[in-house]
Amino acid sequence: MVEPLVHMRGISKAYPGVVALRDVDFALARGEVRALLGKNGAGKSTLVKILAGVERPDEGEILIDGKSVALRAPMDGIKAGIATVHQELSVVPELSIAENVFLGRWPTRGGRVDWPRMQRDAHDALALLGLRLDPRQPVARLSVAERQLIEIARALSQGARLLILDEPTSSLVAQEAETLIRVVRQLAEQGTSIIYISHRMDEIRKVAHSVTIMRDGRHIATAPVADVSNREIVDMLLGGTQGEGGSARAVGEPGRFSPLLTISDLRVAPRVESASLEIRAGEVLGIAGVLGSGRTELLQAIAGLRTAEGGSMTLAGRDFRPASLREARANGIFMTPEDRRGEGAVMMLGIDENLVMASWGSVSRGGVIDRAAMRKKVAASIRSLGIKLAHPGEALGNLSGGNQQKVVIGKALNAAPRILLLDEPTRGVDIGAKRQIYQLMRNAAADGLAVVFVSGEIEEFCEVCDRVLILRGGCITGEVEGAAIRTETLAELTTGEHGVH
Amino acid sequence: MAPIQSESYQKFDLRHFLSGRANEIGLLVAILVLYAFLAAFASNFMTLPNQLNILRDAAFVGIIAWGMTLVLISGEIDISVGPHVAFAGVLLASLAQSGVPLAAAALIVIVLGALIGCFTGVLRAFLDVPSFIVTLALWLGLRGTAQVMSDAVPIVIMDFSFQRLGAGWFLGIPTPAVIMLVLFAVFSFVATRTVFGRSVYAVGGNAEAARLSAIPVARVRILVFAITGALAALTGILMASRLGSGNSGAASGLEFDIIAAVVVGGTSLFGGRGTMLGTLFGVVFIAALVNGLVLMGVDPFAQGIVRGVVILVAVMVNIISIKRMRGRT
Repeated sequence: MVEPLVHMRGISKAYPGVVALRDVDFALARGEVRALLGKNGAGKSTLVKILAGVERPDEGEILIDGKSVALRAPMDGIKAGIATVHQELSVVPELSIAENVFLGRWPTRGGRVDWPRMQRDAHDALALLGLRLDPRQPVARLSVAERQLIEIARALSQGARLLILDEPTSSLVAQEAETLIRVVRQLAEQGTSIIYISHRMDEIRKVAHSVTIMRDGRHIATAPVADVSNREIVDMLLGGTQGEGGSARAVGEPGRFSPLLTISDLRVAPRVESASLEIRAGEVLGIAGVLGSGRTELLQAIAGLRTAEGGSMTLAGRDFRPASLREARANGIFMTPEDRRGEGAVMMLGIDENLVMASWGSVSRGGVIDRAAMRKKVAASIRSLGIKLAHPGEALGNLSGGNQQKVVIGKALNAAPRILLLDEPTRGVDIGAKRQIYQLMRNAAADGLAVVFVSGEIEEFCEVCDRVLILRGGCITGEVEGAAIRTETLAELTTGEHGVH
Repeated sequence: MAPIQSESYQKFDLRHFLSGRANEIGLLVAILVLYAFLAAFASNFMTLPNQLNILRDAAFVGIIAWGMTLVLISGEIDISVGPHVAFAGVLLASLAQSGVPLAAAALIVIVLGALIGCFTGVLRAFLDVPSFIVTLALWLGLRGTAQVMSDAVPIVIMDFSFQRLGAGWFLGIPTPAVIMLVLFAVFSFVATRTVFGRSVYAVGGNAEAARLSAIPVARVRILVFAITGALAALTGILMASRLGSGNSGAASGLEFDIIAAVVVGGTSLFGGRGTMLGTLFGVVFIAALVNGLVLMGVDPFAQGIVRGVVILVAVMVNIISIKRMRGRT
């Protein structure tokens, strides 16, 4: 048998209160693309952190080229040829492409930076990825996808033999993702091994040779991609307990919902030209559109974060023109932002405080917090959100991404809105947590709220929406209801592959 | 009272309790070490009169430090408080000199102090001028104003009952220390039990998330500076009372003692983190250190070196011990 490039044996790792990895074996051949799957908290990020030298295992051994190595610091990982490209990119936007590729390792001649050589080398490194960009231009001008490729170029120029890509396509549009997948396959053919962390099955089928599935810190299975069905993978991910259920959607008769907010010909710079739609109480409404279609801008205009330039909104029969977030709030509209860490919550504050942050009025009297009321409200929230935690006062940053998102939604629900606008609430969240978030949306709708759900992954709409609107070219170009909501239909309508409207 | 409680609230978790207080426990140890050292090497350090003296000195750092803690937690800084103290003292003395009753003068000084704080807050909140820059300008301007107003000569306040405020005693404790401790209780309550206090943490932890949660971010920013301005004015009044005059040269370098006390107390300069109890310990630590160095007869110039080193070490030990304790639990 060919010796694997990397072989991890009997790896265990415990954090305070949780065992992150239990006796995990993991081996990867040269030129192999391995998809690593697992819910949040399954241990996949701990595993790759150990490989990268960011975390040290409590037990176990790591072999590279058959030789035992000690990876004590990120530097050791880089020396061993292991590089990670994270979801949050680490490029310096103000510097040029060439400087970013050789960040901290700028070639010098006589003590000065050798610019011509650096630009030449950067050009070659980019060409290897099929990227034709002027290495002198600042990274600030590049798209997210291009920045990611710059990071990959940097890793390769450092001599990386194993690339770890953490959810590389989560912030890319479909076409950019295609490019990335092409690059990954090309690198694999050249002998680079790749660990590809993703939740998107279609992508994994295109890019990976094999899959490893983890659950509760254990290695569950490793198999060639072709040998396992999506169904089997989902079962292994969820442990067969939650896999059933399919759609969280209630089968309802259309037209049973009463209109709450009517929007006509709304124009919001720069992307929404003329949007007309109706938001109804008791319904989960999906807004589908590719990245850059104006879906976020539309929500922000409703939430008072952007001013509409034209058109009108009518809320429960009255003209509605929110000039500020506060005014929208006063009218019962609450929006959760797509950037959870940056805008959604305060990571260093407790889970309890994050839950009541938008509704202090209900748990305080004259500005003084009523601790009993707060405890009661927090306990009720935690129960209805289904969050597992050690202590409600624990910092939110200690929770997994899925649970953080549930807290953000819980905060919105505690503000008792009539209209709940959710911008990409399931981004970067594992399948199990996604299901729970869908269920929260359904529950909110059952309580009479109007829920508006925006997502970049159209297969999600089928799971939860009563009605889906298609936002394209700045206008609402289509509407699909009930059983007609199918992935293929929506994909066609949003990207217009068949171009008939 | 509250019949529905999640079981996680009912259990008292000692380890969670301790890890949440790693900072305060570390500081308490640091203070004990400092006290043991000074008790052994500084004569008269452990006497009651000296300890009460430390308490009085601590008040001139501590009262402003409560406000400064809020300023730092909200992610801002205020370096103008030293000159503000001098300015408040001079203003009080010159108002008194021109016949304004002292009580009315004190009220004017405190209200003006809050307004000066508001000024910083408004520039920060609405024009995005960094608070360091605004308070740097005030640092220069307030001292300058005080010097111009008084010709850099102390203005004597002829009122002996007024002097009891800063130099007197209340139930055997120095009056300024009593004021400091009462305000400590008030600010501890504000920081942990009021919507405003928690909003300060939210704004410092993530201003954008706070804004989207409809927390009035601008109002919070303005208020923390207004509070600190009022506290600086109050300290100026106490200082003038203790000195018996308004002195434009007073409280030189005080802003750095205060910021050092707050940071030694575990408050993050980047916002979002900090406690009043930590600051109290930081204030005691700084006051005891200054006092001990004087008693030991350390050369005044060398005192600066020792203070610098000790503050740095204290902050480092604190940061390391927090990391350790978080790692273990």
